[in-house]
Formats: sequence, structure tokens, C-alpha cells
Amino acid sequence: MKIGTKGRLATVTALGTIVLLAATIWWAFTEVEDADRQRRKTAEIARGLNDLRLVTFEYILYRTDRAHLQEREVAGRVDRLLATHPFSDSEPNEILADLRERIAETQQIFGELMAKPPDYASSADIGGGAMRRFEAQASRKLLVLQQESLVDALRLADFSTQRISQAQRRVVWVFLVGLLLIASATAGAAWLIHVSVLAPVRRLEQATREVASGNWNFKLDIGGNDEIGDMSRNFDAMTSTLRASFAQIERSNQELAALNKEIEAFSYSVSHDLRAPLRSMDGFSLALLEDFGDQLDEQGRDYLNRIRAASQRMGRLIDELLGLSRVTRTELSIRSVDLSAIARDIAASLNQQQPERAVTWEIEEGLTVDADKSLMQIAMQNLLENAWKFTGKTPNPTIRVGRTHGSAQPACFVADNGVGFDMTYADRLFGAFQRLHHETEFAGTGIGLAIVQRIIRRHEGRIWAEARPGQGATFFFSFREHDDERRQQGDPPG
Amino acid sequence: MSDDNKVILLVEDNPDDVELTLRAFKRSHLMNPIAVARDGVEALDFVFARNEHAHRASQSLPTLVILDLKLPRLDGLGVLKAIRAEERTRFLPVVILTSSKEEQDLISGYTLGANSYVRKPVDFAEFIEAAKVLGIYWLMINQVPPERSNP
Repeated sequence: MKIGTKGRLATVTALGTIVLLAATIWWAFTEVEDADRQRRKTAEIARGLNDLRLVTFEYILYRTDRAHLQEREVAGRVDRLLATHPFSDSEPNEILADLRERIAETQQIFGELMAKPPDYASSADIGGGAMRRFEAQASRKLLVLQQESLVDALRLADFSTQRISQAQRRVVWVFLVGLLLIASATAGAAWLIHVSVLAPVRRLEQATREVASGNWNFKLDIGGNDEIGDMSRNFDAMTSTLRASFAQIERSNQELAALNKEIEAFSYSVSHDLRAPLRSMDGFSLALLEDFGDQLDEQGRDYLNRIRAASQRMGRLIDELLGLSRVTRTELSIRSVDLSAIARDIAASLNQQQPERAVTWEIEEGLTVDADKSLMQIAMQNLLENAWKFTGKTPNPTIRVGRTHGSAQPACFVADNGVGFDMTYADRLFGAFQRLHHETEFAGTGIGLAIVQRIIRRHEGRIWAEARPGQGATFFFSFREHDDERRQQGDPPG
Repeated sequence: MSDDNKVILLVEDNPDDVELTLRAFKRSHLMNPIAVARDGVEALDFVFARNEHAHRASQSLPTLVILDLKLPRLDGLGVLKAIRAEERTRFLPVVILTSSKEEQDLISGYTLGANSYVRKPVDFAEFIEAAKVLGIYWLMINQVPPERSNP
């Protein structure tokens, strides 16, 4: 049964009981009212009978006309009272019937008494003795009958009183039963709430805690076909779905790990085995040139040199591809990295490699980011080497490293005043092996910016470029928002 | 027998690389005799004078071992481990000469006690230069502890 149904049932029971109690009160009220009315009526009858007895006495004692008239009047009143039927029970009605009969009888006897003229009683003839005896007998009978009637009237009054107390007793019982019903309904509802709501909710709470702490195998398993049962089944379905997807993720992770291992093995093999034949090609070409160079003509030697150049170029390509894959595989170790220091070191080494070039370096101080130091070293190396390379044919070459100070997201940049490029092709800029210049113009494999982009992306950052042909290029990169915030908070004010 | 005292052991399975390494040493005017082992097991046989190299028991250890990492049977790291485990060869100079510049190889090599780690360049001219530097350093400049005789 649904909890809602149970709740409705409990409510209906309580309301029904209350209605029952109200009805009982109403019934008791009418019952008491009715009995009271009866009692008043019987009291009236009793009063009438009493009056009747008094006037009868008066008449018997004094035989006055006034008494006679009074008797007629009182008798008429009593008759009218007796003519009504205020009782529904049989017993008081029987008594009432007896009363009517007896009154009729007394009326008859009274009538017989009345038949004698009033002065007859005072005459003193011989037959008067018998007459007096008859009168005395009739009077006694009359009084006895009237006395009985009075007793009956009092019995009737008793009936009404009894009815009132009965009604009271019944009200008390009904109230007791009603209160018991309400109490048991309340207790039942409380028990129901405990058993079918609170206890399962407590279990559910425990279950959510278990699942939250990673115990995916926890089963709620609350039976029943109420709402909580439904919820329990849904919960179990949810955890089993979660378990399934978790297992799926676990499997995918394992597959990924296996794949990663495979890539690693592949890279290792590439690094080791693909380079060996290149070494042979280059080495034996050089050996040929050295040992048999004089037997070859210019073209033959040129061909051998081309073989060597190609081998060496492929060696570089392999190395850079490995570098690209290493950038993806390396685990990040995020620390505060001083980009200014890295840039200065790279600038110094480039100056040393080509001392004949006079490049102006403008490196802003205090460029720190939270990043992986070795990867940022690789990124800066690539960016600065590019800038160095593409300013090779520019008079007064300048390379700037700094940070934008606009209101927008702060970004670091590497800018040069070299050959630049057409922004139309900017989308190809960061693809592996993509070049925007001929290799004869500027040497390179076209992997450098792909590596830089991967490094920035691994830091959940963004890299973009702005350039114009002949006016240089600027590469911007920014890291995750919260890093920037932290950096800004770390900055001294002003 | 002065030549025997200065023998270099080259552990290399690729015949091209053997040829080129020998040529590089020759081009850099290294006169030491060079013994070649084609795999790890043969290298250890040579060092410890076992099996087909048993006749070397009376001779001194090679003065330098040039070790490739990727070898048939026992690999270079296994050879290095065995050499370092033996009291007599604990200080034998071992230079790893390999194609790999994978971080894991570098770390394992140095962890197991390699004296040096050199990557074979593709450019043969660079290789000759490297061989020359290696020879000068390990055979002339570097001082080795006196060899302990077998108990």
C-alpha cells in the first residue's frame, strides 16, 4: 500500500472518529432534551394528579360546589395531559395507559359519589347509615386509586431520569471509545511513519554516504510497493548504472594506459630503430666521399651530400616528433616558473651561437606563471628560436618578451619585428609539419609551434598569434583563469 | 702485451654501427685494439673470460666498455648490472652509446652505474667528433683505480 494511501486512511479514520463523536454529542443532547421534556410533562401530570387528589379530598370532606367545580377543572386538565404520548418506550406507555384507565375509574367513582345530592349527606334518616358506609368505601377506593396514580406518575418521572443518565453513560462510553480510536490512529500513524518513512530514510542516508565514499556495491534493497520502495529501487538502479559506467571508465582507463604504454614502446622503438638506418646512410655516404671522393665527379659528390642532408633532416624530424609525443606524455609538475629567467638564458645561448647577429632583446622582469618548468622551457625555446630565425633578414632585429597589461585576460607574449606572416593562414600555424615560409628561406621542420601549442594546452591555456607580413609576429599565451587570479593576488599593490 | 692492456670492448649488434664506430675511432686516430661483442651474453663472456673467451683469464680487463642498450639476449642494462655486481669490475669504465635519448633509459643507465651516456648522432661527422672526444677523455685524461687481482 502506498504511504499516501496509508496517510489518507489515517486521516479518514481520525476525521470519521471526530464526526462520530460530534454525532454522539448531538444525539446525547437531543436525548437529554427529550428526556427533560418528558420529565417536565410527567411532573406536570404528577402535579395535576396531586391537585386532583387534593380537590377530591376537599370534596369528600366538605362536599362544596366549589370543590366539585375544581375537581372537574383539574380532571379535565389531567385528561388533556394524559392524552399526549410523549414516550416512545413500551413500559412508560403501559403505565400511561394504566394511568388513563385508573383516572377513568376514579372519574366514574367520583361521578357515582356526585350522583347523590349534596344535602343528602347532611340528612339523618335511617337509611343514612348504609349510605355513609358506601360513601366512605367509595372515597377510600378513590383515594387509593389516586394514590396509585400518583405513584405511577412518579415512576414515569423515574423513567425520564433513567433515560437521561443512560444517555450520559452512553456518551461517556462513546467518548472513551472515540478517544481510544484517535489515540490508536495517532500511534498507528507514528509507527507507520517510523517503519515506512523514517527507517528507510535513515537507510537511504547511510546508503548515500556509502556511495559517496566510493562503495558502489552498496545495495539499499528496501522492499515494499510504496513510494519509499520505488525510491529504493530507483536508487539501486542508479548505483548499478553508476557502477556500470564506473567499470566502463575503469576499462577505458586501463585501455588508455595500455595504449599509452604501446605509444611509449613505439616511441622507444622509433627513437632507437628508425635512426640506425639513417646513421648508416649518412655514415657510409660520408665514408664514400672521404675514401672515394676523388673517383667521383662533382655531381656524384653532390648526390652523396644530398643523401646525407636528407638523412640528417629525417633524423631531426624523428627527434622533433618524439619531442612532440613526449610533451603529451610527460606528467605535469606545476610550480611557479620564472619565464623572464628562462628567456634570458635562451637569449644568451642564441647570442653565443650566432655572435655575428646583433639582436636587441627586451625581456620584461618578473614574468612568473604556475606551470611545468621543463615544458615551459621547451615552449619558450621554440618561440624564441622562431623569433630569432624570422628576424634573420631584418635590419635592427628586436625580440620582446612581456605581459599584456590590458583589462582583458592577462597574457604573456613573445614579439619580433621579423618577416611576420599573412593572418589568412594563421589557422595552419599550430599544425604539425605546417610551414608558412619556404624551407629554403627559413630552415625548420614545422613542428615547433605544434609543440608550443600542446604545452600551452596541457596547462589548459590558450595560444594565439597576431602578425602582418614584413612587420613581425606576436605570439600570446595565457593560462587558466585561477592561475592568473592567484598571480594577481600575489602581486604587490600598485 | 701493452695492446692487450688497452683493449676497448664495443658491445653492438648492428653491423653497420660496428663498422661506422670502428671507422670513427680510426678516423680520430685511436690506436687501441677494439674487441666487438654482438650481444650482452658475449660481452659478459669477454669481460669475465668465460666460454669462448676463457683464454682471456690471464689477461687484464678491457680498459673501456662501449655499450649499446638494445641488444639481443641480454640487453645493455643487464650487462651493466652484471658488471657492477662483480667486485673486480665494479669500477670498470662503461660508456653507454645508444640511439635512445628517452628519459627512462638515461635514468636507468645512470642508476645502474654507467660512467657516461652518449647519444649516437645521425650526422656521421658529429659521430667522429664524439668518438674522438670519448677516446681522448677515457683513454688519456681519465684516471682509473688500480685493478684488483682475482682472489
